[in-house]
Amino acid sequence: MEDIKAYIESGILELYVLGDVTPAEKLQVEEMALKHPAIKAELGEIERSMELYAESNAVEPPGHLRERILNSVLTNFADDRNFNKANTKIVQDNIVALPVQTSYNFYKYAFAACLALLLASSIALVTLYNKLQDSNTRIAALQTDKQHFANRVNLMDHEMSVFRDPAFKFMKLKGTTHAPSAALMVAWNPVNKKVMIDMGSMKMPANDKEHQYQLWALVAGKPVDLGVFDMNSDTTDMKEMKSIASANAFAVTLEPRGGSVSPTMDKMMVIGQF
Amino acid sequence: MARQSKISLPEEELVRALKSREKIAMEALYDMYSASLYGVISRVIVETGVAEDVLQDTFVKIWHSFSSYDAEKGRLFTWMVNIARNLAIDKLRSKDYKNQNKNQDIDNTVTIIDEQRNSVYKPELVGVKELVETLKPEQKAILDLVYFKGYTHVEAADELGVPLGTIKTRLRMAVQQLRKHFN
Repeated sequence: MEDIKAYIESGILELYVLGDVTPAEKLQVEEMALKHPAIKAELGEIERSMELYAESNAVEPPGHLRERILNSVLTNFADDRNFNKANTKIVQDNIVALPVQTSYNFYKYAFAACLALLLASSIALVTLYNKLQDSNTRIAALQTDKQHFANRVNLMDHEMSVFRDPAFKFMKLKGTTHAPSAALMVAWNPVNKKVMIDMGSMKMPANDKEHQYQLWALVAGKPVDLGVFDMNSDTTDMKEMKSIASANAFAVTLEPRGGSVSPTMDKMMVIGQF
Repeated sequence: MARQSKISLPEEELVRALKSREKIAMEALYDMYSASLYGVISRVIVETGVAEDVLQDTFVKIWHSFSSYDAEKGRLFTWMVNIARNLAIDKLRSKDYKNQNKNQDIDNTVTIIDEQRNSVYKPELVGVKELVETLKPEQKAILDLVYFKGYTHVEAADELGVPLGTIKTRLRMAVQQLRKHFN
């Protein structure tokens, strides 16, 4: 007991409370306080006195400091609790109204919309391009057709001119005993010496590949070659033959392919005389 | 004081609330102890702005390291005042603070001295007069050097030019006087 009293009176407890002890002394005081209630009680008394002394010497800090300090404690430890109702509201408002979030969403949707639009545009473009190609093909085909018809009209105009020209003479060659049903229309213009045969109205027996029909003109009893032709049912044109200035009669004989120098008389198919 | 709704809690309740990190506890802690702690800090650091910063650091540190406070080993205020005093002394010895003091120009000196006087001799301080009468001047000198200025008793002995043993005795006598006074 005397030891404890001496320990108390040594002044170490005061130094302990004032924070002026070495770590070893600090441990020792705490150990003693734990063992001896008297020391613990003495420490408590000293502490209380110093606390009251500090209170007596208190200096009220400026009023604005309270909020600043309490908020800095909050900020320092990222605590979601705040010390001030008004401040809490501001913080919450900030979180809710954060414009970054809004614009983030806006750009996200805008980007998606742009992608969708791009996709739709691409599809439309490809479709339109295909249609354009199709149309171009049709236009080309129509132009070919148009050219074809124009050519055909020109040709028929040319043929019609034969019939319109009063200088043309027409003769129907009639079938001989070899081919009684055969017939051939010949048009001859003595002015410009043109000779034409009408393939459309021609009625001749079909010739084989080794033979061809040959047209002759009889000039003063002598046969003159006017060219060869085939019996071709596909053609309806007027076929122009070799020219001749004067003729008494026209005849057609069947000759070997390419024609002969003089007609084979027993193969005469049709004949006509002026 | 101007603030009407100061929060105050019994110490055990306050400690429990601080351990469970309730914001009301921090407000109560500030309202109950900021003036006492600021009293200690502003006796070490005379510049008002710096003292305010140290007070802020003190509360930040109290909140941050509260788990290391053990109620079995002592009162809450004893623990807190040691934190405040140590932070203030650290600040006083820091390079920043020394440079700042060197850079103060003469025109400002008068104002600063006035501010110092205000912070030390606040008229609203309770019981200062009686305390001054209670404590003998040599007791008050040693007590204030150690408690408010953060001197070790060895440094105080040097400063006052008295033997170490005398310092310890005077310190004890001073505390005894305070106990009597407050009882």
